[in-house]
Amino acid sequence: MRTILTAALTGWLLCAQPLAAHADPVETDPDLAARDADYAAGRDALKARDWPTAIARLSKAEVRNPDHADLQNDLGFAYRNLKQYDSAFKHYKRALQIDPRHRSAHEYIGEAYLMVGDVKSAEKHLSALRDICLLGCEELKDLQEAFVRYRGSSPPKR
Amino acid sequence: MKRCIAAVFSTAFLLAPALALSHDEPGSYGGRLGKVSFPTSCDPKVQADFERAVAMLHSFWYNAGEETFRSILAKDPSCTITAWGHAAILMNNPLAGVGASAPNAKKAQDVIANARANPPRTQRERDYVEAVAAYYDDWANKPEKARQLARAKAFEALAAKYPDDDEAQIFSALYIAGTQSQADQTYAAYMRAVSILEPMFAKYPDHPGVAHYLIHSYDAPPIAAKGLTAARRYAGIAPDAPHALHMPSHIFTRVGAWDESIATNLRSAEAAGKGGDWPEAYHASDYAVYGYLQLARDADARKVMEDVLRHPYGDSPIPAGGYAMSAMPARLALERHDWEAASRLEVIPNARLPYTEATTYFARAIGSARRGDAAAAEKDAEQLAAVQKKLEDAKNTYWATETEVQRLAVAGWIAQARGNAHEAEKLMRAAADLEDKNEKHIVTPGRMIPARELLGDLLLEQKRYDAALKEYQASQAREPNRYRNYAGSAMAAEGMGDRESATAYYRKLIELAGDASRPELTRAKAYVAQR
Repeated sequence: MRTILTAALTGWLLCAQPLAAHADPVETDPDLAARDADYAAGRDALKARDWPTAIARLSKAEVRNPDHADLQNDLGFAYRNLKQYDSAFKHYKRALQIDPRHRSAHEYIGEAYLMVGDVKSAEKHLSALRDICLLGCEELKDLQEAFVRYRGSSPPKR
Repeated sequence: MKRCIAAVFSTAFLLAPALALSHDEPGSYGGRLGKVSFPTSCDPKVQADFERAVAMLHSFWYNAGEETFRSILAKDPSCTITAWGHAAILMNNPLAGVGASAPNAKKAQDVIANARANPPRTQRERDYVEAVAAYYDDWANKPEKARQLARAKAFEALAAKYPDDDEAQIFSALYIAGTQSQADQTYAAYMRAVSILEPMFAKYPDHPGVAHYLIHSYDAPPIAAKGLTAARRYAGIAPDAPHALHMPSHIFTRVGAWDESIATNLRSAEAAGKGGDWPEAYHASDYAVYGYLQLARDADARKVMEDVLRHPYGDSPIPAGGYAMSAMPARLALERHDWEAASRLEVIPNARLPYTEATTYFARAIGSARRGDAAAAEKDAEQLAAVQKKLEDAKNTYWATETEVQRLAVAGWIAQARGNAHEAEKLMRAAADLEDKNEKHIVTPGRMIPARELLGDLLLEQKRYDAALKEYQASQAREPNRYRNYAGSAMAAEGMGDRESATAYYRKLIELAGDASRPELTRAKAYVAQR
């Protein structure tokens, strides 16, 4: 009787519980802000424009999540706002090393290069965004506008 | 629910009389599952059950395996090495990249805690428990990738500590393979796993895990042919495990062995359906449909699809089933170049898996564009953009990129429909280049249409025959033995005036699907008959 109950339970489980033998490969962790208190606090500090706190908390989160492109991009953004450009470039480059198609990192590093007057490097990222955003994207538009502001004229053509 | 109740009783009926038999005999609990030897210090009365449970674990038959480990512990409470197997099952498919759910992680931590409080008798068994515990350590605060790496490291250490324990070597290989990134086209982790598994395959030709994990480790286009021996053996090793029946087709599909893929998937779909596992049945049916369409056996493909679609199971969270539900009708239209049917496909809403909706939007847009209705295609292109945005917001990078490939391809064909050939090629080429950087997902036998093949189609449409043939040939390297590729290659070669190549490709088409009745076959037969 017990055997039959066990088998019946197995049959029930086959129906009631999904066999998740196939699932999505998630290349970027979707729940980092929900699971990592330092990352969440760092993001909040970015929103509050509290750059030193953002750097402190995001750097702690980085130790646990060294390969997170968004986190690297956020660190770059915080350093950029403190005008610590060497550190900003380091983190933006790391973000692009992890994800070469990271649109936001291309935009922000491009803007950072314009801030230090390195137009040639900024143009490389504008060009990369044009290739990535063949169907258009906000990041390309924003970097083009940064060029317009920088030069007071049109962004460079291809 | 009625179907579930029926499945419960039929499962009970099938399993009830057999518990005392060996794990590798027909009619034993779980049926024929292959040969596994895993000595334990447990009561000898539960040893056979224990090895059956390990065999289930090796064939990813998780529900049955979990129940078996539980029942062993109930019979012999000192057999706490079961915590290792139970917790390993709760990690889910280690090759899929998602891992344990939060409730299952909690459940696993509880069974591990019980094993620590009531430790197994031998150090080896305690080390197995600690190896699996590495995955669950600080689980809530680690991303899945970090858990996967911790698991691989722990099992490598276990394998190094017990070099004569072949199960430790085999599980170590599995978890190393589980660290493979789909963007790494050197397949470094897979190759490390293969270096452990190939000698084991020679030593244990009937081991379910070795054959199974070799298939996974060769599941990439340039290396797939090396997995053929394991693929051909695995279904015979564990013919009663539904996943074992389906799994060989991952290799058969990669090498274009359609007859073998169809046969094993039909068996898998039937076994899964009998067990009430409709997502697995849908998944196997999608693979079978894909195979039939390559042989131009369109009526058979339609029948398989219609048979399984009679068993709806609602908004399942399992990607394999939801994907197949949308993919099968789209494949049937696209592979037959039935553009009108493609443009009229109905979208099956799936908020949890929006990329399954993208499959239909893509097929509809391609159908409309190829009929010359650019405006209708534009509407579906907008839907594709919305799906991509959803996936990006959810940080689902893989499927966001796959959807971007579809958007680029659709934009290319819309440009073609509007007479802008240069823009069309630019967009379609970008789609093909982007797709080439990622492997296809295990949820699908293949993309709806390989983007590079679709680039060949576009260039053929533009009467740029030599350029088209080049793209078809490049696509063949990754997606071999496809009907549409041979047909396009033959027409491109014919357009170039290369009679020898055209004849060779038409012959391949006839060899592949000679008895079928698609228009390209009529043309092929007439062409090769010319003197």
